[in-house]
Amino acid sequence: MIEFRDVTFVHQTGKTALRDVSLKVEKAEMLAVVGENGAGKTTLVKHVNGLLKPTKGTVLVDGEDTRLKSTAELSRKVGIAFQNPDHQLFSESVEAETTFALKNFGFSRELIDQRLNWALQFFGLDEYRNSSPLALSGGEKKRLTLACILAWDPEVVILDEPTVGQDAIQKEKLSGIIKMLRSTGKTTIIVSHDVEFIWPLQPRLVVMSQGRIVADGPAHTLMGDEKLLEGARVMQPQLVKLYQRLRRRPDSPFASVNDARMWITGPVGVG
Amino acid sequence: MYWVAGGFIFRRVDSPFHSLDPRVKLLISAELFVVSLTAYSVTQLAVVMGVMLCIAAVAKILKRVGRTLVFSAGFSVFIFVINLFARQSLLTSAIYSVRFLAIIISTSLFFITTSPDELEQVMKSAHLPRDVVFAFTTAVRFIPVLMLDAIQIVDAQKSRGLEVEKGNLIKRVRKMVPVLIPLVVNSVIRSGELAEAMESRAYGAVPRPTSLNRYSSSKRDKLVAAGSLILFIITVYIYVRFPTPL
Repeated sequence: MIEFRDVTFVHQTGKTALRDVSLKVEKAEMLAVVGENGAGKTTLVKHVNGLLKPTKGTVLVDGEDTRLKSTAELSRKVGIAFQNPDHQLFSESVEAETTFALKNFGFSRELIDQRLNWALQFFGLDEYRNSSPLALSGGEKKRLTLACILAWDPEVVILDEPTVGQDAIQKEKLSGIIKMLRSTGKTTIIVSHDVEFIWPLQPRLVVMSQGRIVADGPAHTLMGDEKLLEGARVMQPQLVKLYQRLRRRPDSPFASVNDARMWITGPVGVG
Repeated sequence: MYWVAGGFIFRRVDSPFHSLDPRVKLLISAELFVVSLTAYSVTQLAVVMGVMLCIAAVAKILKRVGRTLVFSAGFSVFIFVINLFARQSLLTSAIYSVRFLAIIISTSLFFITTSPDELEQVMKSAHLPRDVVFAFTTAVRFIPVLMLDAIQIVDAQKSRGLEVEKGNLIKRVRKMVPVLIPLVVNSVIRSGELAEAMESRAYGAVPRPTSLNRYSSSKRDKLVAAGSLILFIITVYIYVRFPTPL
């Protein structure tokens, strides 16, 4: 579905953001990209819909070279929800905002109505249909940006830092949406620092550092590698830390629940 | 877009021109502005442009001035065409459009080589009201931030199928609406947040806040300022004494 072949990307400022990146993402796969700030995560995903073209190497989407396609053509297959919803909302109503891309892609009126109704109901935004998107709360704006993307039913959905500014309930909802995307066969790529959010999804994990992919494998394997994550400045999820501490504990059961609680929360427990 | 924006943004460079007292840089820029504005022959404009490009070379900003010129070229062509429509001669129209470019370079020389901090000091030394100084320097500081915002907004809209580079001029202008609205809204929100943050840090609590920077002109600054003034007076004298009709 998506293939990076020895991709290097150099910004106009001369800064190299990606170095010899090779990566293959199959259809219906869920991928999470983690790494420190400036590791090249967003630069990597911007290559998938052709916003950025590789300086060296090739990016293929469904076997087609992204250099030969416009962003608009590639966006029909690849939907990216960017980190900051305020960078895309501009219409006078939630309805107009949601249909913006559908009109750009030349959907029929009937299909636009159908997709609009589905998206607004699915994301619980139906009651705001005629409200200004700029008047929504942070969480609602984020949901609206997702509704705008999923409305045109792209094959690949990329979420750039989806949990930024979201409370626990919104994160829970978002997690449910991502699981739904997986069950409907969408290829999903999540770019995030939020390891606690990524861990329960159990995706394939790509760890990036200084423009390179330093590890690629199942989350349950890579999240256990403390040294690897430390090198890429990524925190281990709390549950993984707890599991590893329990494994290191001498082979004797806790004397009481209180004993276990003290061990977990005390100075030798999970920090 | 970022390439063009880079032509307007200050970057610290180790050059003899950058290290001048900002007031001297302002003086040189103002002199060049006046000389550009009053130039009325091809020879005069060629000399003024030559001098400014030499200064840009000394300041190691020749490429960035080039970017400014690329950005301004559209406006320059517009001025040329408008003058032709107004039944001016080809030469006069050309002089007006080149004069516009000269004026742009003369101001760019100051803004590209002067940091917002230095700009603030210059304005304070001119005894301008503090609020005016703060508003102006903050606007200058926010130019790169707004440019980055604009790039991100364009990316977000392109990802929703907006083809900003396609269509005729009117269509392209209409396509800028999805870019301009978020940019303006973000700027307004950001300015409100900045105002609150500034007030929370006691902005305006005293009429005369402590100033840590005090500029003192070196011998070199004084020499450059005097030299530029002499050259400016000579140029104005030549303009007045030997007028060249268009």
